[in-house]
Amino acid sequence: MNTRIQAATRQIDGPLLKVTDLRTHFRTERGLVRSVDGVSFSLDRGKALGIVGESGSGKTVLSRSIMGLLPSRNTERSGSVIFEGAEIIDRSLKERRKIWGREMSMIFQDPMTSLNPVMRVGKQISEGLSIHLGMDKQNARETALKLLYDVRIPEPEKRLDQYAFELSGGMRQRVMIAIALACGPTILFADEPTTALDVTVQAQILELIGDQRRDRNMSVILVTHDLGVVAGHTDEIAVMYGGKLVEKAPTRTLFANMKMPYTEALLRSIPNIEDPSHTRLNVITGRPPDLVNPPQGCRFSPRCEYVQPKCVTEEPPLLTAEHLDHVYACWYPVGSPVYREKRAQLDRQGSGATVGAV
Amino acid sequence: MSDIEIVEDDVSLIVPIIDEAGSPKVRVRRRGRVTKWLAIGWLTFIVVSAIGANSLPYINHSCDQFESKLDCSTALNGSLKKIELPPTWAFFADPPKEPVGGGATHVGIMGTDRNGYDIFARAMLGARPSLTIAGLAITFGLAIATILGMIAGYFRGWVDVLIENITNVLLAFPALLLVIFCVTFFTDNTQSAASARPLWPIILALVIVSIPPLTRLVRANTISYAQRDFVVAARSLGAKGSRIMFKEILPNIVPALVSFALTGLALLIVAEGALAFLGLSVEAPTPTWGKMISAGTERLRNDVWWISLMPALTMFLTVLSINLLGDVLSQRFNTREAIA
Repeated sequence: MNTRIQAATRQIDGPLLKVTDLRTHFRTERGLVRSVDGVSFSLDRGKALGIVGESGSGKTVLSRSIMGLLPSRNTERSGSVIFEGAEIIDRSLKERRKIWGREMSMIFQDPMTSLNPVMRVGKQISEGLSIHLGMDKQNARETALKLLYDVRIPEPEKRLDQYAFELSGGMRQRVMIAIALACGPTILFADEPTTALDVTVQAQILELIGDQRRDRNMSVILVTHDLGVVAGHTDEIAVMYGGKLVEKAPTRTLFANMKMPYTEALLRSIPNIEDPSHTRLNVITGRPPDLVNPPQGCRFSPRCEYVQPKCVTEEPPLLTAEHLDHVYACWYPVGSPVYREKRAQLDRQGSGATVGAV
Repeated sequence: MSDIEIVEDDVSLIVPIIDEAGSPKVRVRRRGRVTKWLAIGWLTFIVVSAIGANSLPYINHSCDQFESKLDCSTALNGSLKKIELPPTWAFFADPPKEPVGGGATHVGIMGTDRNGYDIFARAMLGARPSLTIAGLAITFGLAIATILGMIAGYFRGWVDVLIENITNVLLAFPALLLVIFCVTFFTDNTQSAASARPLWPIILALVIVSIPPLTRLVRANTISYAQRDFVVAARSLGAKGSRIMFKEILPNIVPALVSFALTGLALLIVAEGALAFLGLSVEAPTPTWGKMISAGTERLRNDVWWISLMPALTMFLTVLSINLLGDVLSQRFNTREAIA
């Protein structure tokens, strides 16, 4: 099944990051948790990839696993991560450390906890500069100030000597971005960078990440559970479900021509502002799959409206759609005859939405 | 600009005031502020007196306090006339023997002991070994415990198991036996007992005793910080383990360390007192609080209570002050953590 996706990506010249059949399993007392179970994709320089999925779909583990940030204890990691043409999955901690910060860096979900509460902001930014780039104190401080300008923090000179608790949530996230950008990484992992922020600030932070990506010709992997976040700020979207990649396509293609019923269900569960009030929200019934004992066949089958006998017994491979860069894992994708028949049947039952959803 | 006064009952709710230009000045009244200053005052007094015990004007070493020089015997002249006199404020207490020649029957703020020494002067002098031993022991103990605890808490795995087992063994071993062993084993008994016994065996003993609990506290604190996002963030930027431990985690656990240190100091002062009571601390003629208390016990049944009680009171107030200060500090640091 991976040969197909490889065939699809080989046409693009030298991807910056190529992940093949990446698996990350955690040994727990309950059993092996397959958080990332055979994920493959590639990413070009300067492009933004959105990774979308529910809580527990493995999206955060995927991004940390690519970076090699996960603790090694009780973790099984296999597959291949090729970064700038070199395999990095088997690198030692010492070698990985050289990549971190300089080549890959990460922004975290909660800017309230991701800054050191007892270290001045300027020091936190300049630390990486002096360690990785060997800048002297004065130089590092000036660069830190420039970075704070870049992330559009008001009164950057003043911020250098402030502590995290003196800044607002939005400002803290800007500081985090400044820290992550300090050593000029080629890939920025943004792990739900806006989840902890106010809606009005969310858009600004996403704009900022987008601008910096264009200015620096840097790739961005934007991990989120919010399709609205990725819609306007990514070139491609990968949808994850139960540790697997279930659909990946250029952003526009995905929204216009989604194949996977899960993607469709995700989109339909976003409330529409034009709906009359008291419209029942479309939800996806059930719960995310147990990653210790994932369901047989398609992992989404227990919750899928269009489930067929084959879905429960056989796991669908990643198939290529009309466009070569659009892949999906479904036996009866959106638009197929079986899907249409089932859809019509559901519509006839009246609700038009998920039946029995509460 | 008006002064707003907020009276807060719960100290943990108080928010530090960020004084920015133009904002009204808010004054927060904390409960326990008076006791805090009393504690600080007492500790300052003890430390200053201990340092200047030989020269400060309020500490008597001569017979000036007595009306008749005959009634006095001090450390200075080693007179044969030994007399126990109650403190001046203890109007209800009688000296066991009337001073010859009708001199003062009540002397000093703490009275005199069997040798006629001024108890207050000796208590201040006794603060030296007591505080030195406890202070050095907690400093070394905390330093070692910080390193061990941070290594265990940050690296986990087999190092953690090893350190945990060592601390468990030390905790299971009776502390008193360990201390007695240390002191007797490391003290050179061939020298005459009267010659100054070195301080370090007893410090060593107390360091060993204080390491296990401190290590556990440091380890627990380290673990709680090692999993915070900012530590992962530092790792994701390529920071080394040692750098993360000392630059990211250590500054965060320093407030906790300070309160452990104060609590530990208080406990060690008491422990040193107990050892001195058992005759295991520094040798005569240096007074320590424990030895002074111990020396007075045999006189208790003769209604001579001040010889034991006065140094005990000094120790009690010192330990209480240190504990109060520790509480104040830990509350303050908790407050800050709730906000940051």
